[in-house]
Amino acid sequence: MPELFLTLSPQDWQAIRLTLKLCLYTTLILLLLGTPLAWWLSLSQSKLRTAIQAIVALPLVLPPTVLGFYLLLLLGPHGAVGSTLQQLGLNHLAFSFSGILIGSVIYSLPFTVQPLLESFRRMGPRPLEVAATLGAGKLDQLFSVVLPLCRGGFIVAATLTFAHTMGEFGVILMLGGSIPGETQVLSVLIYDHAEAMNYAQAHQLSLGLLISAFVVLFIVYGLHRRFEREAPL
Amino acid sequence: MMLAVTLTVKRDAFTLQLNNSLPLQGVTALFGRSGCGKTTLLRAIAGLDRHADATVQCSATIWQQGSRFVPVHQRRIGMVFQESSLLPHLSVKQNLLYGFKRLAKHIAVQLKPEQVIRLLELAPLLEQAPGQLSGGQRQRVALGRALLSQPQLLLLDEPLASLDQQSRSEILPFLQRIANTTGIPILLVSHQLDDVVKLADHLVLMQHGRIHSQGPLQQQLLQPELAAIGAMSLLHAQSQGSNNHLLKLSIGQQQLQLPAPQHANTASYSPTSYRLRIQARDVALSLKPLSDSSVSNQLQVSISGFNIAPHPAETLVQLTLEGQPLQALLTKHSVERLGLQVGQQVYAQIKAVALD
Repeated sequence: MPELFLTLSPQDWQAIRLTLKLCLYTTLILLLLGTPLAWWLSLSQSKLRTAIQAIVALPLVLPPTVLGFYLLLLLGPHGAVGSTLQQLGLNHLAFSFSGILIGSVIYSLPFTVQPLLESFRRMGPRPLEVAATLGAGKLDQLFSVVLPLCRGGFIVAATLTFAHTMGEFGVILMLGGSIPGETQVLSVLIYDHAEAMNYAQAHQLSLGLLISAFVVLFIVYGLHRRFEREAPL
Repeated sequence: MMLAVTLTVKRDAFTLQLNNSLPLQGVTALFGRSGCGKTTLLRAIAGLDRHADATVQCSATIWQQGSRFVPVHQRRIGMVFQESSLLPHLSVKQNLLYGFKRLAKHIAVQLKPEQVIRLLELAPLLEQAPGQLSGGQRQRVALGRALLSQPQLLLLDEPLASLDQQSRSEILPFLQRIANTTGIPILLVSHQLDDVVKLADHLVLMQHGRIHSQGPLQQQLLQPELAAIGAMSLLHAQSQGSNNHLLKLSIGQQQLQLPAPQHANTASYSPTSYRLRIQARDVALSLKPLSDSSVSNQLQVSISGFNIAPHPAETLVQLTLEGQPLQALLTKHSVERLGLQVGQQVYAQIKAVALD
């Protein structure tokens, strides 16, 4: 095994770095966006909630190519977003890191929102009411009650999002293509290697990805069990 | 303190409609059947629910009116919920100090942690986690936590409802202590008349989403709606000391003797005045004092009226004892046999008394 990894090419390393960067950014952005969204979903009584919940879950059932295709149309030079950006003197987002980052955020959204939603529901509104009667404002409640009581949910959400983004392929291929250092992440590079009959290189990257995905999931389920046991509510 | 509330809440088959002022001093019980809107009212007062078009005013401060809404955390209320509400990720000590830390820097501290820990006997529990406590202990910690947030008003939402009989009787004396020693007005929601009579000074009777009547507990107990649940009376008596395990009590000029209570906390906390709960069916009347009866507590009373009792064969006789109201449940037959009339002086034999 060690000698396998020693033979990684600079292109391989570049793809690994790019993948980690994409996963990290996606996870951070989704924790910031997904927390208020999951919070709203856990409390809202409105009819809109069902629609929003369905939209959040769409990436679970839709072929990634469909998602990637529409994003390409939207973010590309002739799309609504892409052309507006170009009129503002900026670049459109197809075949760029920003583009695949947006794709990843949408693609991994359910993996952030679901675990958070579940842990918010499990906590219920009572601890927050208690904190409020004891003089804690909203932000104070977030840090002194929600984060500690739902930390299991946050850890699971972050890890699943990270791992799921690592395994992303269809959206990136459609939207980003395979530009080294910009959009050529591991999954795409493995595809390129295999296409080019470089089975040895495809093999070592695939095996690396397989092992790291297993380790991540092993940790997630381990943590989940631990928090389930500790869960005081 | 005066609470003024205007509130209309409509839900399926239920409407809560209020436009009332509640004077709050000592312990005020908000009493009514389950589902009559007590908790809804309490949550609106606390600011936990925001109902459209409601107004809530606490003395001179407007908590809610039109677009003005003071959030819960700025109302300075202490609240204890029905079921355990300790924050599970914090120890007992951290729970106790949660509100204290946040409010003590803004306002003058009237209750210090040491005082509250002593008052509620929490010292042995401080380092424990909420999960290790019994139901009664948890509610005691929740009470202490609410007190330490230096509230100007304490709201208790059925704090005893989730407890078994044993834990209830453990926590009641602490509630009495809080009422007696802190001077913070308490609004207690309850559907247990027993608890109310043990604790409250005033009673607000709620029925079908409205406030039916309010007033001092002694007078409110005469309301037919409460008599239907279990007619009883409340007497205030002064302690004259005890002898041979017999507690001597005086009500005006008259004397009673009762077995002295034996709870552990009487030694450290011996009250000078007692509340006597007397079931109407435990009071018998005679025209002359009885000398050959085992009932030794005989009090001279005058008849002030007759009320309908739940059972058609019975009558509730309203009595006045040294200015305090007392009720006796007699059969109509007995009333006729003795020829009882309003204004008549008779003797009340009291067979059983619960002391608080």
